[in-house]
Amino acid sequence: MISEIDIYAGLSSPIHRWDPRLKVISIIALIFSIMLLYDLKLVIISMLFAIILVYISRIPFSFVVGRLKWVFLFMMPFLIILPFTFIGEGDEIANIGSITLNFRGIESVEFAVMIVIKALTSVMLIFPMIGTSRMDITIKALEDLHIPNKLVQMLAFTYRYIFVLSNEFVQMERSLTSRGFKRGSNLYTITTLSKAIATLFVMSYEQAERVFYAMRSKGYSGKITTMHEFTLRPQDWFYTVVVCGFAIFVQVAVWYSTLEGT
Amino acid sequence: MVHISDGILAPWLWGSGWVITAAILAYTLSKMKIDDVPKISVITAAVFVASLIHFQAGPTSVHLVLSGFAGVTLGILAYPCIFIAVVMQAFLFQHGGVTTIGINAVNMGVPALISFLIFKAGMKLNIGISKNEILFGAIAGGTAVALAVLLLAIELLVIGEEFTEVTTFVVAAHIPVILAEAIFTGVIAGFFATVKPEMLSIKR
Repeated sequence: MISEIDIYAGLSSPIHRWDPRLKVISIIALIFSIMLLYDLKLVIISMLFAIILVYISRIPFSFVVGRLKWVFLFMMPFLIILPFTFIGEGDEIANIGSITLNFRGIESVEFAVMIVIKALTSVMLIFPMIGTSRMDITIKALEDLHIPNKLVQMLAFTYRYIFVLSNEFVQMERSLTSRGFKRGSNLYTITTLSKAIATLFVMSYEQAERVFYAMRSKGYSGKITTMHEFTLRPQDWFYTVVVCGFAIFVQVAVWYSTLEGT
Repeated sequence: MVHISDGILAPWLWGSGWVITAAILAYTLSKMKIDDVPKISVITAAVFVASLIHFQAGPTSVHLVLSGFAGVTLGILAYPCIFIAVVMQAFLFQHGGVTTIGINAVNMGVPALISFLIFKAGMKLNIGISKNEILFGAIAGGTAVALAVLLLAIELLVIGEEFTEVTTFVVAAHIPVILAEAIFTGVIAGFFATVKPEMLSIKR
């Protein structure tokens, strides 16, 4: 039901070989840097940079675009409503009943477009960042980066249980249907579903507890242990410098343009 | 959706989101024991999976938030739970942005904490076995989403009154969610009260 983000972690590309610790930090820095931009030209250049990164990582664009669809759907209201309501007065172009649509000018369209491109770019960058390493290795990288241990453990367990729960949810739906349950828009539907989901939770909770104590009895101490060792090579630093360099470059570009005046 | 993508809110706003989240996290994590990890993780996984249940509300689709449920079952540990759920939704499912993780955690986590307090207060009254939990679970569930939507609306409006129409739209789309979550959380709380009381944050 859920297709994992690291489904293409087995591919081979320079981004795949980039040390996960540096990879995560650099791309996060890049995302934050791009989100601070408010200049449409720089935002578009950043999106191109993101597209190049995705291309180098060999992750299929169809996969990325499929996920971007959802982000775009969320942004649609902004794209449609903003040009008609943002920035000052505008020319009236339509009058539907009591609603007057004022087109607020090309700047508001630019602003709306900029917001959408920024959102899409940030999501796009998630793919080279964590789609190129196996999830447990990424989580180990987070531990190495000194993310608090309790959070790292939560991430590891939660990630596993997402798939357990969603499978059990599918099974539950099947057993409900096999007993003649039909979804409707009534109170009965929601109470039945709620109780079924509650049973699911109780079972999952008990299972998680058993698993946890079994792990503890086998010596689990909270540290993430995988066979993967982290090493740093010159190529890792190269990519780090390129990505962080770009992040810095766009900020310098902003600062430079404010020097020259608007 | 109650969590907001990157690029819409102003930097000072999502920046403060991070500061507040870091503070609350530091406090709540210090109260967390290692033995709590399985319970919190299962609930967090549930919050995550629930966000995949979409229902049509007009031209957009909204999903269950389950922050009230987190408050009722985890107490103050609901905050790390919501935080991790927001992180995973952003990275695994591209719901919500990366820079906005802090503010999204505040928007959904703080109402979760408040709904826990409501539940706690409600449990002190004693209407009857499981009726108590159902009623206050429902109130907790509904309030958690309502407050979250309210916070989001305030933040959108802070950017400028130009966002009024968009905000109204987002708020209206979530009204069925508030109702659905109230019922859902109430029923689940009642169920836990009779079947497995230890899953609730407040036991009789």
